[in-house]
Amino acid sequence: MAFKFKLNGQEHVLGIKARRPELVATIDDKSYQVAEAGDLGDGGSLILNVDGQAYGVWRVATEHGIHLKVGGRSFFVEHEDEITAAQLDSGAGDIVRADMPGVVVSVIAAPATPVTAGQAVMVIESMKMQITIAAPRDGQIGEIHVSQNDTFDKGDDLITMRPLED
Amino acid sequence: MSRILSKLQTNTTEFKANYAHNLKLVEEFKEKQHQARYVRPQKDIDRLANQGKMMPRERLEKLLDPGTPFLEFSSLAANMSYDGEAPGASVITGVGMVAGREVIIHANDSSIKGGAWYPLTVKKIVRCLDIAIENRMPVIHLCDSAGGFLPLQSEIFADRYYAGRIFRNQCVLSKMNCKQLALVFGHCTAGGAYIPGLSDYSVIVRGTGAVFLGGPPLVKAATGEIVTADELGGADLHTQVSGTCDYPADSEDEAIAIGREIVGQWDHTPKWPIQQDAIEEPYYDPDELYGIIPNDIKKSFEMREVIARVVDGSRFHEYQPAYGTTLVCGFANIWGFKVGILANNGVLFNDSALKGGHFIELCNQNNTPLVFLQNITGYMVGRDYEAQGITKDGAKMIMAQVGSKVPKFSVMCHGSFGAGNYGMCGRAYDGRFLFSWPNSQIAIMGGEQAAKTLVEVKTRQLERLGEEVTPEIVEQVFNETLEAYQHQMSAYYATSEMWDDGLIDPIATRNALGVAISASLNAPLGEPGYGIFRL
Amino acid sequence: MFSSLLIANRGEIACRVMRTAQRLGIRTIAVFHHEDRAAPHVALADEAVELIAEVPTAAYLDIEQLVAAARATGAEALHPGYGFLAENAGFADAVEKAGVVFVGPSADVIELMGDKIKSREFAAEAGVPLAPSVTQTGDTDSFVAAAAEIGFPLLIKAAAGGGGKGMSIVRSVDQLADAAVTAASEAERYFADGRIYAERYIEQPRHIEVQVLGDGQGKAVHLFERECSVQRRFQKIIEESPATNLDTELRDRICAAAVALSARAKYRNAGTVEFVLAPDGEFYFLEMNTRLQVEHPVTEMVTGIDLVEEQLLIAAGAGLRVDQNEITQTGHAIECRICCEEPDKDFRPATGAVRMLQEPSSENSRFDCGVRQGQTISASFDSMIAKLICFGDTRDQAIEESLEALGELVLLGVANNADYLSQVLAHPAFAAGELHTGFVVDHADSLAPAPLADLDKAAVLIAAALGDEQFSRLVYETPEPYASIGHWRN
Repeated sequence: MAFKFKLNGQEHVLGIKARRPELVATIDDKSYQVAEAGDLGDGGSLILNVDGQAYGVWRVATEHGIHLKVGGRSFFVEHEDEITAAQLDSGAGDIVRADMPGVVVSVIAAPATPVTAGQAVMVIESMKMQITIAAPRDGQIGEIHVSQNDTFDKGDDLITMRPLED
Repeated sequence: MSRILSKLQTNTTEFKANYAHNLKLVEEFKEKQHQARYVRPQKDIDRLANQGKMMPRERLEKLLDPGTPFLEFSSLAANMSYDGEAPGASVITGVGMVAGREVIIHANDSSIKGGAWYPLTVKKIVRCLDIAIENRMPVIHLCDSAGGFLPLQSEIFADRYYAGRIFRNQCVLSKMNCKQLALVFGHCTAGGAYIPGLSDYSVIVRGTGAVFLGGPPLVKAATGEIVTADELGGADLHTQVSGTCDYPADSEDEAIAIGREIVGQWDHTPKWPIQQDAIEEPYYDPDELYGIIPNDIKKSFEMREVIARVVDGSRFHEYQPAYGTTLVCGFANIWGFKVGILANNGVLFNDSALKGGHFIELCNQNNTPLVFLQNITGYMVGRDYEAQGITKDGAKMIMAQVGSKVPKFSVMCHGSFGAGNYGMCGRAYDGRFLFSWPNSQIAIMGGEQAAKTLVEVKTRQLERLGEEVTPEIVEQVFNETLEAYQHQMSAYYATSEMWDDGLIDPIATRNALGVAISASLNAPLGEPGYGIFRL
Repeated sequence: MFSSLLIANRGEIACRVMRTAQRLGIRTIAVFHHEDRAAPHVALADEAVELIAEVPTAAYLDIEQLVAAARATGAEALHPGYGFLAENAGFADAVEKAGVVFVGPSADVIELMGDKIKSREFAAEAGVPLAPSVTQTGDTDSFVAAAAEIGFPLLIKAAAGGGGKGMSIVRSVDQLADAAVTAASEAERYFADGRIYAERYIEQPRHIEVQVLGDGQGKAVHLFERECSVQRRFQKIIEESPATNLDTELRDRICAAAVALSARAKYRNAGTVEFVLAPDGEFYFLEMNTRLQVEHPVTEMVTGIDLVEEQLLIAAGAGLRVDQNEITQTGHAIECRICCEEPDKDFRPATGAVRMLQEPSSENSRFDCGVRQGQTISASFDSMIAKLICFGDTRDQAIEESLEALGELVLLGVANNADYLSQVLAHPAFAAGELHTGFVVDHADSLAPAPLADLDKAAVLIAAALGDEQFSRLVYETPEPYASIGHWRN
């Protein structure tokens, strides 16, 4: 398993090599001896000792990432949990499929439109209910496999997502 | 507890010769392990890469908690079978930590003939599930197998401990509330389909994972239906339609991440409490074990020097130090766990057998697991000893040992010959785990003794027939017997046949026992139940 | 003295004014927009009045509502703080008409100093030096001739406008005519007024300002100068007092000019006269700010005078309590403006919630803060949320104190310039006092975030990970003997 943390736009893989007598953490396969005193729990602070160098640490996590003050400087670190990180790597959510059979009421976003996760891209009707189909993740609309008034079956592809081009 | 005072002389020629000899043995062992684990034909490596699959050990490393041990079982299983075509018996099994839970792992090695099951593969899987049952542990199955190796079907299908036992064991585990998770990376065909089918949770990788009773070729042959593997038993079919699998994943990484999160939901069942003390590294360097183990199976050595390099702080409370001295008994700690150790320091006499039986009873009363360190040429033979009842004293020791409620662990340290193997908890005695050192040898009797015995038998046979007994015939019988013995009594043969749970480097003994004892405490100790001691 | 004071402002300055008022036993009344309902200035006040407006800033600019609030709460005086309506003559007038004392100068002085052209003329009459300039009155040729006489380099711009449109720097006479034509056409296009204006362009100018107090009767004193040369996007970020590398004689002349201007204007209230100081030692009048300045604390620290208290005393008619010769300047003070912004993205304002706020604890520091932990910083208001002012016996000590305090300041959750301020303070050119208004731009490369050493990066990542639930569980909750054995394969 790999813990991925992003600092200044660069991804680093963190691991644990040993816990006794001291924590040995690995960052991109390089080992560091870690000792700590304090509690980093929600909004906590501690003295962190890495390879003999002491750092005062304050840390707070938000929905966007982790804000830290370490050794007198402020940092922002992004981190995804294991499943999300794996999904991002594997391109999960590339295809939006129909959960149930229905008919397309309207197509909101056109191919090549940049969208953010949760943005409405299509409205369908099924079992007398209108359902908004939202973008599963940030990116752009690749293909739209159905048009207005088309009917579709459960499991049919509706939309293919593409990554945003840089 | 007092520390063993080592009398080991590390600057003697003998120590150095032993050291060089054993180091070489361990290097050979590690090289064989490396070959069995990693060396594969390029085409097999390419095939997995083209399918977007990880190598089996990559999956394993990603599944396990970082910075924790993995005790692999029988890494050299089948090393002397099938012309070496099934290294490790094409399956990886062991005990490790996933999301903070101690689990048994069973992973198909799809880099060998698509993970096909050979007879010893089945034996190894059944053994790992037996371990799960005996120790009440959850199991994670990493499925990617082409199914049974058909040319050898008669040795894998029908008998009691053949493939059917795998699924039977899954049901038994489930009944015992041992959770099972299947991560379906590749095909689970025919019986193999029951592995996810009988698991509590299953994750299947879209595109490569498939579960079906009959694969596309069999379906075509049976009904003429032409269907792809994905249509027949892919992730979407099983997670959306059939409900055979629970979670679809878009990649192996995602499947592993989902799997880890699933295991993270499992309750922490408390371990069976035994005496535990603060962990202490051995005072004496375990590396010196190489210089202690003799370079000849016939040479004896001081077992206390071995104990001093395995147990916490090299501390040992010896029981009856002056009685039955050929069996060293006493209490020690391994990774904090209190254990009772029985170690051979020579042939078993009446007094040593009685002492051993008594000590086993003490440990059962005290909830102390038993560790047997074997170096045994047997119980003493001869008229005087028979007259003293060596057989009935040996029987008492075996009775006490078999009736034990506490978990038992055995390490084959050097020789294991004759009935001594039984008294010292050999494979047949349901120890929870049994490991062998690469120098160890095991047989019904020593090779030269057996050869001499057979020469004796042959000579009498020829004499009865009135034929001449030439020195050539004597030499031929002797050499043939010895050769066959040497092949079959080597540690590699024993481990190939899975008479143990794997070879270990002697200096890894402490870690192997630590994980093994920890695993064993998932099961309740129960009550000792002895039969009749022949008093 | 008044018994009650309404503070027509928000943020750190509202809090700062209230602190002095409360020390003097004055009842304080805050005003607030809905978005600020949980802001510290509301909590700190004895009473608070909500101002209704769709756009949050509009609330604090609503003269009618503010006057009504003062009346309704029986406020005897109103302190405008800085920004918003602090220099709005109409507001001062409306407040006075409502029978509430406006803590500031009279409306006509505000108006005079608020008019660029009139204030320059007034300053000239007071003998305050102005940068040589010429405004186009006739044809281009005569303008060019007059402008050439000022000397080069020259700044050419539209007479009617500002904001850099139609502005150019001319370094020699042969470029002048072309520049004048271009500027005139742009002036016509942007401001419908083709008249142009030329003035001496000062390279690497310093911003020096003088704090004054006037009693409104013609008596004025100065509280020495402040240097505010370190600026980004034309806004000050670090100010100090005294100015470094400024000889006494020149400083006296600058201060004297400020006092002369204030006295002539019969200035009432605390005020600031701003100057541009050229590298050749010439200084020119820029403008007079008729209110309390953001950076006033550095003056308070080196003079020991509470400027808000003086403002209130003057407004209450008590006049000036101190004579010029009683005012001394001791030690050195530096102010850092803490702004929610991203220095490495051209100081783009940043928004977000302040998730963790811990003030520096050093006794030689003062932290004037307008936000509390948990508060959301929106784009509605100015990005400056706090000021850190540090004192030292010498400038080096003040820098040292500031760096230490910035290191202690924990402000997490929203991007801010604390690290950037440290970079500036630690810069050798800052230490050497080589300051000018282009400092930040000139040293942009060396002020970029220092590359992170491997060990520091490791510390950041490990700190991030240790607080993560999954990771910390793996570190701390792995059972024995697994934890002690560690990574091991047999």
